[in-house]
Amino acid sequence: MPQLNPTPWFLTMLLSWLIFALLIQPKLLPFIPTNTPSNKLTQTTPTLSWNWPWT
Amino acid sequence: MNLSFFDQFMSPQLLGIPLIMLAMMFPTLLLPFPTTRWITNRLSTLQLWFIHLTTKQLMLPLNKGGHKWALILTSLMMLLLMINLLGLLPYTFTPTTQLSMNMALAFPLWLATLLTGLRNQPTTSLGHLLPEGTPTPLIPALILIETTSLLIRPLALGVRLTANLTAGHLLIQLISTATITLLPILPTVSILTSLILLLLTILEIAVAMIQAYVFVLLLSLYLQENI
Repeated sequence: MPQLNPTPWFLTMLLSWLIFALLIQPKLLPFIPTNTPSNKLTQTTPTLSWNWPWT
Repeated sequence: MNLSFFDQFMSPQLLGIPLIMLAMMFPTLLLPFPTTRWITNRLSTLQLWFIHLTTKQLMLPLNKGGHKWALILTSLMMLLLMINLLGLLPYTFTPTTQLSMNMALAFPLWLATLLTGLRNQPTTSLGHLLPEGTPTPLIPALILIETTSLLIRPLALGVRLTANLTAGHLLIQLISTATITLLPILPTVSILTSLILLLLTILEIAVAMIQAYVFVLLLSLYLQENI
Protein backbone atom coordinates (compact mmCIF):
# COMPACT_ATOMS: atom_id res chain seq x y z
CA MET A 1 0.00 0.00 0.00
CA PRO A 2 1.68 3.23 -1.09
CA GLN A 3 0.19 5.14 1.83
CA LEU A 4 2.52 3.22 4.13
CA ASN A 5 5.63 4.38 2.29
CA PRO A 6 7.38 6.50 4.94
CA THR A 7 9.25 8.80 2.53
CA PRO A 8 6.60 11.51 2.07
CA TRP A 9 5.13 11.18 5.58
CA PHE A 10 6.94 14.08 7.21
CA LEU A 11 6.27 16.44 4.32
CA THR A 12 2.59 15.49 4.13
CA MET A 13 2.11 15.89 7.87
CA LEU A 14 3.84 19.26 7.93
CA LEU A 15 2.06 20.52 4.82
CA SER A 16 -1.37 19.50 6.08
CA TRP A 17 -0.93 21.46 9.32
CA LEU A 18 0.60 24.49 7.62
CA ILE A 19 -2.18 24.67 5.06
CA PHE A 20 -4.86 24.09 7.69
CA ALA A 21 -3.51 26.66 10.17
CA LEU A 22 -2.19 29.34 7.83
CA LEU A 23 -4.56 29.19 4.87
CA ILE A 24 -7.91 27.63 5.77
CA GLN A 25 -8.37 29.02 9.29
CA PRO A 26 -7.75 32.70 8.44
CA LYS A 27 -10.04 32.40 5.42
CA LEU A 28 -12.89 31.06 7.55
CA LEU A 29 -12.29 33.27 10.60
CA PRO A 30 -14.54 36.14 9.42
CA PHE A 31 -17.37 33.71 8.85
CA ILE A 32 -17.37 31.93 12.22
CA PRO A 33 -20.17 33.32 14.41
CA THR A 34 -19.40 34.32 17.98
CA ASN A 35 -21.73 34.53 20.96
CA THR A 36 -22.74 37.97 22.21
CA PRO A 37 -20.47 39.12 25.08
CA SER A 38 -21.79 37.97 28.44
CA ASN A 39 -21.39 41.39 30.05
CA LYS A 40 -23.62 43.09 27.50
CA LEU A 41 -27.42 43.22 27.68
CA THR A 42 -29.15 41.55 24.76
CA GLN A 43 -31.66 44.35 24.42
CA THR A 44 -30.63 47.98 24.39
CA THR A 45 -32.61 50.36 26.59
CA PRO A 46 -34.57 52.81 24.47
CA THR A 47 -33.17 56.34 24.60
CA LEU A 48 -35.41 59.34 25.14
CA SER A 49 -35.51 61.94 22.39
CA TRP A 50 -33.30 64.95 22.91
CA ASN A 51 -33.29 68.48 21.50
CA TRP A 52 -31.21 68.75 18.43
CA PRO A 53 -28.58 71.50 18.88
CA TRP A 54 -29.72 73.51 15.88
CA THR A 55 -33.39 73.66 16.92
CA MET B 1 -1.69 -6.11 -12.69
CA ASN B 2 -3.76 -6.31 -9.50
CA LEU B 3 -1.38 -4.28 -7.37
CA SER B 4 -1.34 -1.42 -9.89
CA PHE B 5 -4.80 -0.48 -8.60
CA PHE B 6 -3.07 1.06 -5.57
CA ASP B 7 -0.92 3.33 -7.74
CA GLN B 8 -3.58 6.04 -7.54
CA PHE B 9 -2.71 6.48 -3.85
CA MET B 10 0.99 7.16 -4.36
CA SER B 11 1.90 10.67 -3.22
CA PRO B 12 2.13 12.45 -6.59
CA GLN B 13 5.36 14.08 -7.65
CA LEU B 14 6.34 16.00 -10.77
CA LEU B 15 10.08 16.45 -11.25
CA GLY B 16 10.59 16.24 -7.50
CA ILE B 17 7.85 18.77 -6.69
CA PRO B 18 5.30 17.26 -4.28
CA LEU B 19 1.93 17.78 -5.94
CA ILE B 20 0.09 16.86 -2.74
CA MET B 21 0.72 20.45 -1.72
CA LEU B 22 -1.33 21.67 -4.69
CA ALA B 23 -4.08 19.17 -3.93
CA MET B 24 -4.27 20.35 -0.32
CA MET B 25 -4.16 24.04 -1.24
CA PHE B 26 -6.92 23.80 -3.83
CA PRO B 27 -9.83 24.08 -1.32
CA THR B 28 -8.38 27.47 -0.30
CA LEU B 29 -9.17 28.81 -3.76
CA LEU B 30 -12.78 27.73 -3.45
CA LEU B 31 -13.37 29.63 -0.22
CA PRO B 32 -14.35 33.25 -0.94
CA PHE B 33 -12.86 35.90 1.29
CA PRO B 34 -15.36 38.40 2.70
CA THR B 35 -15.30 41.81 1.00
CA THR B 36 -15.93 45.14 2.64
CA ARG B 37 -19.43 45.24 1.19
CA TRP B 38 -22.48 44.96 3.41
CA ILE B 39 -24.32 42.67 1.02
CA THR B 40 -21.88 40.16 -0.42
CA ASN B 41 -22.32 37.86 -3.38
CA ARG B 42 -24.28 34.62 -3.44
CA LEU B 43 -21.26 32.39 -2.92
CA SER B 44 -20.23 34.23 0.22
CA THR B 45 -23.78 34.14 1.56
CA LEU B 46 -24.03 30.43 0.86
CA GLN B 47 -20.71 29.82 2.56
CA LEU B 48 -21.78 31.93 5.54
CA TRP B 49 -25.04 30.02 5.88
CA PHE B 50 -23.27 26.67 5.72
CA ILE B 51 -20.58 27.67 8.22
CA HIS B 52 -23.21 28.99 10.64
CA LEU B 53 -25.12 25.73 10.33
CA THR B 54 -21.97 23.67 10.96
CA THR B 55 -20.71 25.78 13.86
CA LYS B 56 -24.06 25.84 15.64
CA GLN B 57 -24.44 22.09 15.23
CA LEU B 58 -20.97 21.43 16.61
CA MET B 59 -21.11 23.95 19.45
CA LEU B 60 -24.55 23.02 20.84
CA PRO B 61 -23.41 20.21 23.16
CA LEU B 62 -20.27 22.07 24.30
CA ASN B 63 -20.03 24.38 27.30
CA LYS B 64 -18.55 27.88 27.13
CA GLY B 65 -14.97 26.65 27.39
CA GLY B 66 -15.53 24.44 24.38
CA HIS B 67 -16.65 27.39 22.27
CA LYS B 68 -13.00 28.40 21.92
CA TRP B 69 -12.68 25.42 19.61
CA ALA B 70 -15.28 26.77 17.16
CA LEU B 71 -12.80 28.01 14.55
CA ILE B 72 -10.56 24.96 14.58
CA LEU B 73 -13.39 22.44 14.38
CA THR B 74 -15.38 24.28 11.72
CA SER B 75 -12.34 24.93 9.51
CA LEU B 76 -11.26 21.28 9.90
CA MET B 77 -14.74 20.22 8.82
CA MET B 78 -14.65 22.51 5.76
CA LEU B 79 -11.16 21.35 4.77
CA LEU B 80 -11.96 17.65 5.03
CA LEU B 81 -15.34 18.05 3.32
CA MET B 82 -13.84 19.89 0.37
CA ILE B 83 -10.83 17.60 0.00
CA ASN B 84 -13.08 14.52 0.11
CA LEU B 85 -15.57 15.89 -2.41
CA LEU B 86 -12.92 17.21 -4.80
CA GLY B 87 -11.29 13.79 -4.77
CA LEU B 88 -14.35 12.30 -6.41
CA LEU B 89 -13.71 14.23 -9.62
CA PRO B 90 -11.87 12.25 -12.29
CA TYR B 91 -8.08 12.44 -12.38
CA THR B 92 -7.80 14.17 -8.99
CA PHE B 93 -5.72 13.13 -6.02
CA THR B 94 -7.33 12.89 -2.59
CA PRO B 95 -4.90 13.87 0.18
CA THR B 96 -7.18 12.35 2.82
CA THR B 97 -6.40 8.89 1.44
CA GLN B 98 -2.93 9.43 2.88
CA LEU B 99 -2.64 7.98 6.37
CA SER B 100 0.08 10.55 7.08
CA MET B 101 -2.30 13.49 6.64
CA ASN B 102 -5.10 11.97 8.69
CA MET B 103 -2.83 10.91 11.52
CA ALA B 104 -1.21 14.36 11.48
CA LEU B 105 -4.63 15.91 11.99
CA ALA B 106 -6.10 13.34 14.37
CA PHE B 107 -3.26 12.73 16.81
CA PRO B 108 -2.45 16.33 17.89
CA LEU B 109 -6.11 17.29 18.15
CA TRP B 110 -6.98 14.23 20.23
CA LEU B 111 -3.93 14.84 22.40
CA ALA B 112 -5.02 18.46 22.84
CA THR B 113 -8.44 17.37 24.11
CA LEU B 114 -6.84 14.84 26.45
CA LEU B 115 -4.31 17.29 27.88
CA THR B 116 -6.99 19.97 28.28
CA GLY B 117 -9.03 17.53 30.34
CA LEU B 118 -6.11 16.30 32.41
CA ARG B 119 -4.94 19.84 33.12
CA ASN B 120 -8.25 21.53 33.98
CA GLN B 121 -10.32 18.73 35.45
CA PRO B 122 -8.07 15.71 36.06
CA THR B 123 -10.48 13.86 38.33
CA THR B 124 -13.41 14.10 35.93
CA SER B 125 -11.26 13.16 32.93
CA LEU B 126 -9.82 10.12 34.67
CA GLY B 127 -13.27 9.30 35.98
CA HIS B 128 -14.36 8.59 32.42
CA LEU B 129 -12.16 5.51 32.55
CA LEU B 130 -14.69 3.76 34.78
CA PRO B 131 -18.37 3.79 33.76
CA GLU B 132 -20.95 4.25 36.48
CA GLY B 133 -22.54 1.17 37.95
CA THR B 134 -19.67 -1.19 37.22
CA PRO B 135 -19.66 -4.33 39.42
CA THR B 136 -16.65 -4.24 41.77
CA PRO B 137 -14.85 -7.40 40.50
CA LEU B 138 -14.84 -5.99 36.98
CA ILE B 139 -13.23 -2.65 37.90
CA PRO B 140 -9.55 -3.48 37.12
CA ALA B 141 -10.39 -5.15 33.82
CA LEU B 142 -12.69 -2.34 32.79
CA ILE B 143 -10.13 0.36 33.59
CA LEU B 144 -7.63 -1.45 31.36
CA ILE B 145 -10.20 -1.77 28.60
CA GLU B 146 -11.24 1.87 28.83
CA THR B 147 -7.59 3.02 28.85
CA THR B 148 -6.91 0.98 25.72
CA SER B 149 -10.03 2.41 24.14
CA LEU B 150 -8.85 5.90 25.02
CA LEU B 151 -5.36 5.40 23.62
CA ILE B 152 -6.58 3.85 20.38
CA ARG B 153 -8.85 6.84 19.60
CA PRO B 154 -6.37 8.84 17.46
CA LEU B 155 -5.43 5.74 15.49
CA ALA B 156 -9.08 4.90 14.92
CA LEU B 157 -9.84 8.48 13.92
CA GLY B 158 -7.07 8.59 11.32
CA VAL B 159 -7.48 5.08 9.98
CA ARG B 160 -11.28 5.42 9.72
CA LEU B 161 -11.03 8.35 7.33
CA THR B 162 -8.14 6.82 5.35
CA ALA B 163 -9.75 3.40 5.00
CA ASN B 164 -13.18 4.71 4.03
CA LEU B 165 -11.84 6.96 1.30
CA THR B 166 -9.25 4.49 0.04
CA ALA B 167 -11.82 1.70 -0.17
CA GLY B 168 -14.27 3.95 -1.98
CA HIS B 169 -11.76 5.12 -4.56
CA LEU B 170 -10.50 1.59 -5.06
CA LEU B 171 -14.03 0.29 -5.65
CA ILE B 172 -14.73 3.05 -8.16
CA GLN B 173 -11.54 2.20 -10.03
CA LEU B 174 -12.27 -1.53 -10.02
CA ILE B 175 -15.84 -1.20 -11.24
CA SER B 176 -14.97 1.37 -13.89
CA THR B 177 -12.17 -0.91 -15.13
CA ALA B 178 -14.69 -3.75 -15.29
CA THR B 179 -17.15 -1.55 -17.21
CA ILE B 180 -14.57 -0.53 -19.81
CA THR B 181 -13.20 -4.06 -20.18
CA LEU B 182 -16.67 -5.58 -20.60
CA LEU B 183 -17.86 -3.01 -23.16
CA PRO B 184 -16.60 -4.84 -26.31
CA ILE B 185 -17.27 -8.31 -24.87
CA LEU B 186 -20.68 -8.14 -23.13
CA PRO B 187 -22.27 -4.69 -23.69
CA THR B 188 -25.41 -5.39 -21.64
CA VAL B 189 -23.37 -6.48 -18.60
CA SER B 190 -21.23 -3.40 -19.14
CA ILE B 191 -24.32 -1.16 -18.97
CA LEU B 192 -25.38 -2.91 -15.76
CA THR B 193 -21.91 -2.36 -14.32
CA SER B 194 -22.05 1.30 -15.29
CA LEU B 195 -25.35 1.56 -13.40
CA ILE B 196 -23.62 0.07 -10.36
CA LEU B 197 -20.85 2.63 -10.89
CA LEU B 198 -23.39 5.46 -10.86
CA LEU B 199 -24.93 4.22 -7.61
CA LEU B 200 -21.48 3.75 -6.12
CA THR B 201 -20.48 7.30 -7.03
CA ILE B 202 -23.59 8.63 -5.28
CA LEU B 203 -22.68 6.50 -2.26
CA GLU B 204 -19.12 7.84 -2.33
CA ILE B 205 -20.36 11.43 -2.34
CA ALA B 206 -22.39 10.60 0.77
CA VAL B 207 -19.45 8.80 2.37
CA ALA B 208 -17.14 11.75 1.64
CA MET B 209 -19.47 14.13 3.47
CA ILE B 210 -20.27 11.76 6.31
CA GLN B 211 -16.65 10.84 6.99
CA ALA B 212 -15.63 14.49 7.24
CA TYR B 213 -18.53 15.11 9.64
CA VAL B 214 -17.78 12.01 11.72
CA PHE B 215 -14.11 13.00 12.13
CA VAL B 216 -15.02 16.41 13.50
CA LEU B 217 -17.98 15.12 15.50
CA LEU B 218 -15.84 12.56 17.29
CA LEU B 219 -13.25 15.21 18.10
CA SER B 220 -15.99 17.41 19.55
CA LEU B 221 -17.22 14.43 21.60
CA TYR B 222 -13.73 13.83 22.96
CA LEU B 223 -13.64 17.55 23.76
CA GLN B 224 -17.01 17.37 25.53
CA GLU B 225 -15.66 14.76 27.93
CA ASN B 226 -12.62 16.84 28.79
CA ILE B 227 -13.69 20.46 28.95
